[in-house]
Amino acid sequence: MNNLRQAFADKMIEVGEADPNLVVMVGDISHGILKPFAAKFPSRYFNIGICEPSIVGIAAGIAATGLIPVAHTIAPFLIERSFEQIKLDFAYQQLGGNFITVGGAFDYAQLGCSHHCYSDVSLMCQLDNSIVTSPASDHEFSVLFSQVYNRGTINYFKLTENPHDFTFSNPIEIGKAVQIKEGTDISIIAVGPQLKQALVASKQLESSGYTVDLIYIHTIKPFDTQSVVASIAKTKKVIVCEELSAHSGVFDLVLRCWASQDKAQFKQLAIHKMIHDYGNYEELCQVAGLAPEHIISAANKLLSTVEN
Amino acid sequence: MNQDLRKRIAEIIFKSKEGHIPSSYSIVDIINYLYTDILAYKSDQPQWDDRDYFILSKGHGCAALWVVLEKVGLLCSSQLENYSQFGGVLGGHPDRTKVPFVEASTGSLGHGMPMAVGTALALKIKQQENRVFCLVGDGECHEGTIWESAHIAANRELDNLTVIVDWNQSAAQLCPIDDLPAKWKSFGWRVIVFDGHDLNSIKNAFSQGACSKPTVLIAKNIKGKGVSFTQGHGAWHHKIPNESELQEIFKALT
Repeated sequence: MNNLRQAFADKMIEVGEADPNLVVMVGDISHGILKPFAAKFPSRYFNIGICEPSIVGIAAGIAATGLIPVAHTIAPFLIERSFEQIKLDFAYQQLGGNFITVGGAFDYAQLGCSHHCYSDVSLMCQLDNSIVTSPASDHEFSVLFSQVYNRGTINYFKLTENPHDFTFSNPIEIGKAVQIKEGTDISIIAVGPQLKQALVASKQLESSGYTVDLIYIHTIKPFDTQSVVASIAKTKKVIVCEELSAHSGVFDLVLRCWASQDKAQFKQLAIHKMIHDYGNYEELCQVAGLAPEHIISAANKLLSTVEN
Repeated sequence: MNQDLRKRIAEIIFKSKEGHIPSSYSIVDIINYLYTDILAYKSDQPQWDDRDYFILSKGHGCAALWVVLEKVGLLCSSQLENYSQFGGVLGGHPDRTKVPFVEASTGSLGHGMPMAVGTALALKIKQQENRVFCLVGDGECHEGTIWESAHIAANRELDNLTVIVDWNQSAAQLCPIDDLPAKWKSFGWRVIVFDGHDLNSIKNAFSQGACSKPTVLIAKNIKGKGVSFTQGHGAWHHKIPNESELQEIFKALT
């Protein structure tokens, strides 16, 4: 069973043991599961308090001395609220650090808009020297963190509360998409937790006789243009499923990497407006148009379209 | 009061047509004292591990920093000649990626101090004895991050951190209840109020003994100090002198 927040806590101990430069700071969340880290490395763990912009600024001061900060709290507060600090204190000053959030998209489905966050990924992509990921399994997070945490880059890990539970047979590598299924009728490009919905939809499309080229994206920046272009070249029909703002998400990256190539058809499933509903994750996927049936419906429309 | 440094500030701002003369005149005496008497640094090693850190959080006063760094030999005159010019490294706000000895890029207010708190915290983690000094404006103390990070510094007992507040009444223009010493004291800091233009008063403020709390030195400064018409909170905040005004400034400082 995947639990990315626990995976984060476990990973901090693993890396903290090997690397005395790792410093973990939280904004009064996850302190329970970080107790083992705090007990083991008391001088390198800080529950700073509820002051996210200052957490980021303090993390930059820590980074300026050569230590490696990890700042962790809820996505809307760490990224959207504190974006000027991330932009000026890290990107402008060419400092490296790690930002690990929970509660992205509408993961906190019962808490309302104040705790939703749809633009974190696009904001972090704006920064020079940033690496932006949306791991949706323990394994992915563990591998991706090890690969980049000490590169001196600005690393963003958007941890979902709704992991996909898919087991990868191929190695996970930063900046590389994963080919989940190979097909020629339609491409489905699923970002992070949306792989779960995409797998359900793909199965149903396959039962209708279609073959699906299913591409999984865990790293948004750097974006694996090569894999996406190869998939579109095969199918010329593309659906992008992303729990991100429709105004600046992975769909834009897909269009950009295909620009100037042959004619193809594209459909974006994403978050188009603030979600004021309550409920559970699956219910809000329904509201956002990000449930399996929305993928199937979009696919059927594309598949029924005859090329001119 | 450092008249030659003030003349040099006016000179580079006149030439580049960019800069904040009154803000720079408010803090130049303190920055001069820091670099001549307080900070540990090695002129040939900007990243010397045992150096003291100075962060100018009110970055718009950086003309004062540039002329002091020139005076102590950490910048050369040709760099100041290109201040705020294309191809130069010295701008209207400090950029740590361009200027050796600048520890933090500042400009948007309320950013330097949290970085200073983080640096002081990191030095504690690394068990180093270096000190961290950070200069903030009293207007900058309107920013929430000043008080967020002040709160954290007190709770972490960062006795290696000294904040200097340029208390020149900028804040009082907007918020007349001007009780900065009481505010900092209530946040758990050791508070020392002094005259930031008088050398003996500056010396006394910086020579206080050890204390388990972080220290704030609140400087009763005069914005634009040294030239009657640049003093106060009028049009000179971001005004560039013309030729005759430059001569008036030089005359007042002679």
